Amino acid sequence: MASSREDFGIAIRSALLQRGARAKFSLFFLFCFSIIIFFLDVNKFNVISLARNIINDGIYRLSNVATSPIKAFGMIGETSRNVIFTFKENKILKNELEQLRNKDFQVEYLKSQNEFLKRTLEKDKLTEFESVIAKVLLDKKSPYLKSIVINRGSKSKITRGMPVVDGNYLVGRVVEVNYLSSRVLLLNDLNSRIPVTLGEDAVQAILTGKGEANPKLEYLPEKYSINEGITVFTSGKDGIFSGGIPVGETILVDEEPKVRLFSDANQLSFVNVQLIQINEENF
Amino acid sequence: MAVIYKNFKTSFINFIPLLLLYYLSLSEIDTEFSNMFSILSFNLQIIIIYYWVLKDESIIGNGHIFIVGIINDVVMGLPMGISAISYLAVAFVASYIRNVTVNFSLFTDWFTFILAIFFSNLTFFILVTNFTDLELIYTELFYNSFFTFLFYPAFWLFFNIFRKIMVVRKDD
Repeated sequence: MASSREDFGIAIRSALLQRGARAKFSLFFLFCFSIIIFFLDVNKFNVISLARNIINDGIYRLSNVATSPIKAFGMIGETSRNVIFTFKENKILKNELEQLRNKDFQVEYLKSQNEFLKRTLEKDKLTEFESVIAKVLLDKKSPYLKSIVINRGSKSKITRGMPVVDGNYLVGRVVEVNYLSSRVLLLNDLNSRIPVTLGEDAVQAILTGKGEANPKLEYLPEKYSINEGITVFTSGKDGIFSGGIPVGETILVDEEPKVRLFSDANQLSFVNVQLIQINEENF
Repeated sequence: MAVIYKNFKTSFINFIPLLLLYYLSLSEIDTEFSNMFSILSFNLQIIIIYYWVLKDESIIGNGHIFIVGIINDVVMGLPMGISAISYLAVAFVASYIRNVTVNFSLFTDWFTFILAIFFSNLTFFILVTNFTDLELIYTELFYNSFFTFLFYPAFWLFFNIFRKIMVVRKDD
């Protein structure tokens, strides 16, 4: 019995401390080193944060280069598909154009009416935001986190919490900023919570990521029955996002109110970061 | 000249598992196939580390495992060091199994791989839940581990064939 315990101890010691033919470090040393790095990073030590920023910038770019052959293959496939469907798409677009022309008159009328009402209410005009276009460097899928990496950082005046949009549609918010790159937390990530508003009654709710394609609407008013196809906008109640950014439309999945996002996170190549002054206390 | 060429070819072939490991961590090649099957994802890095530390420790050194872990954390946006600890746990189990086992077969490797996955996930889970604010989907973590375990024999066979090529090259 004592001998088998000794053997066990010897095997463990050997596995931890032995250095192989080409190994320069023992597992024990690297374990300790990793644990130190982990705790320094979690506790946000200045030195490690600075080192992390530099490492992030370097690795994101290296990763972008390493991934470029795969992206090129993907692009070739997409281009071929686009060429095949162009003819069909052209027909549909012509029809849509005709419909839009008709709607143009209606929009013009509504616009003038809106301007008139604004003047009547003496409301401030909506603030125009500066925004910066960023290329998506990385969108590695992970079973844990849903995020993307973009090629703009603090050099382009990006700060944590800024909203990121694809065209007009909300994609997520900046959660990590390096000098030349940033990480954007997508709306469907488990850690994402966005205050939103929907419907003619401007009902308030929280859009909560569940790690699935469609995030869930939570904290809706009691006894509120939701219909499908209602457009969901940011409410701006958190003081981080500006109100009125379109997010998606409501759907019911197993009686649960969810949102089908307007922007497909898997198809992002370029995004816009809205350079809004963010209060770090709110974030 | 022929000797230099032969040496270069041998060392390049020996480097392939390490290159694959680095490339998987760096690139966008995913082993998550949620588009095809919602729960299908597996961790190829863990399979590579376990297999090569178990079979031939000179192919993937501990230092490389540590660096790959750090790269993975940066790319995935996880706290730095967490994947390194998790991968080193796999290397530790593989190293221990190598020390105590005399005869290796697919089944001994496969079933001891459960220990490696268990310790790797245990360290990951303890660190994430106790020291970070991250929220994880634990069912996905479970599915990921399950499929990693399930696919091990396929990669075991593939790497075994590759190892035979390496041995032939060495003895050429």
